Amino acid sequence: MKEEVRLMKGNEAIAHAAIRYGCDGYFGYPITPQSEVLETLEELMPWETTGMVVLQAESEVAAINMVYGGAATGKAVMTSSSSPGVSLKQEGISYIAASSLPALILNVMRGGPGLGTIQPSQADYFQAVKGGGHGDYHLIVLAPSTVQEMVDFVGLGFDLAFKYRNPAMILADGIVGQMMEKVILPEQRPRRTDEEIRQQCPWAVTGRKDGRKRNVVTSLELESSKMEVINHELQARYREIEKNETRWEEIDVENADYLLVAFGSIARICDKARELAAEKGIKLGIVRPITLWPFPTEAIARAAEGKKGILCVELNAGQMIEDVRLAVHDNLPVEHFGRMGGIIPSPDEVVEAVEEKLIRK
Amino acid sequence: MKEEIIIAGFGGQGVLSMGKILAYSGLMDDKEVTWMPSYGPEQRGGTANVTVILSDEKISSPVLDKFDVVIALNQQSLDKFAPKVKPGGILIYDTNGIHNRPTREDITIYPIDAMDATLEIGNSKAYNMVVMGALLEAMPYKLPMENVIKGLKKSLPERHHKLIPLNEKAIEKGREILKK
Repeated sequence: MKEEVRLMKGNEAIAHAAIRYGCDGYFGYPITPQSEVLETLEELMPWETTGMVVLQAESEVAAINMVYGGAATGKAVMTSSSSPGVSLKQEGISYIAASSLPALILNVMRGGPGLGTIQPSQADYFQAVKGGGHGDYHLIVLAPSTVQEMVDFVGLGFDLAFKYRNPAMILADGIVGQMMEKVILPEQRPRRTDEEIRQQCPWAVTGRKDGRKRNVVTSLELESSKMEVINHELQARYREIEKNETRWEEIDVENADYLLVAFGSIARICDKARELAAEKGIKLGIVRPITLWPFPTEAIARAAEGKKGILCVELNAGQMIEDVRLAVHDNLPVEHFGRMGGIIPSPDEVVEAVEEKLIRK
Repeated sequence: MKEEIIIAGFGGQGVLSMGKILAYSGLMDDKEVTWMPSYGPEQRGGTANVTVILSDEKISSPVLDKFDVVIALNQQSLDKFAPKVKPGGILIYDTNGIHNRPTREDITIYPIDAMDATLEIGNSKAYNMVVMGALLEAMPYKLPMENVIKGLKKSLPERHHKLIPLNEKAIEKGREILKK
């Protein structure tokens, strides 16, 4: 399969991108608004072509532990769910991170807390970037704002996960999961052979045919002095990721008086708001964090220099705003505007919030 | 060129699939496109709507509150979206079951009787393509029919390709009733 232009939903795009990346296995359990991922995979039947395993597990907990097992053997494996389902996966995610394994997790967020609603939300920011599961660990968290980025971040997520032996998460929302846009699908890559996995993942439990030393994949270490060493190793790796992999996008920052900081599809609503505000003579710039962890702290601090204020626009009660405040200290006013429960703010509402919370203050 | 369009009606009227065919037609005409549905339980018999944006340039927000073109296929949708047509914009609505007609004078309003026109064609499933015909005729952006046909081919599963001539006929019918 060659590179191809198509119109598809974000969720469908994830399925196509996974197959084309050469993903070895998907393990999931359906939940709105991301059920099309599993549906599309079942429809495409990649087990007949690339040999990729697609399995509907008996529960989210089973699915994430299948990912844990698959990742331990060096395979490129993934799961997807939406907010309540991702909560169920947190124990497994902590184990995967603690065991230094690469894996890809997709969360297409819906309104919470609890079972909440099936409409879009970004209320799992804290869960994704501040832990979610127990212990000192980080996921590499990518926030797509377009269907094309849903495609691209499957490849990027897997590549980073393998490079750093650390699980990566695509933190999407119901908008980008459910909307259709033009996408360019990459060329089909072959799945890695067992030999390639043995070479590229010397840590993987692949069977000890060549008499190499035993590989152990575990998150358990009862001796505290050794467990602290493991923690230090993890932290050193996180510093490395922070240094190399922080990603963000800036729009019109230089000419702006005020900044909007937003991630995912909400950054696009902010972009429209920027156009509308310009008609009123209000100059807005946008910083869109692409990696939510590592967070573009320095970029935001730089962008904020000389500005009159920042509005964080999020589909939650104010989560990313904490990281924005940490980035700029108290050098300028930082306010939050958000809708919750599955309500999506319109570009007009964003402009009104800028006027009310930053300009008239 | 940029058209920001919302199509709203009852679930089952083919609102989402009309949006999809429109989006695919735009894609075939080399435009940037987004198709953003209202999704969820309201699609079962309740109201359904879809925002379609066609543009020469990269599209920012897929979610909008003002539109160049509003298509309202029931009273509820008409009440909700008629105020959201941009001044100078276009409102197309199906007169079936409408008791409160829109009164705005700063927009172009096209009342159509798409259901009767559909019955004349003899296949009630072609309703949404009659509406699509009216849209294609009313919209300032003239989407070439050959690309609409390509869009139909792309969005319909192959087993339904035999229905393309019927859809084409329905689109033509829609164009005619708008001209009246």
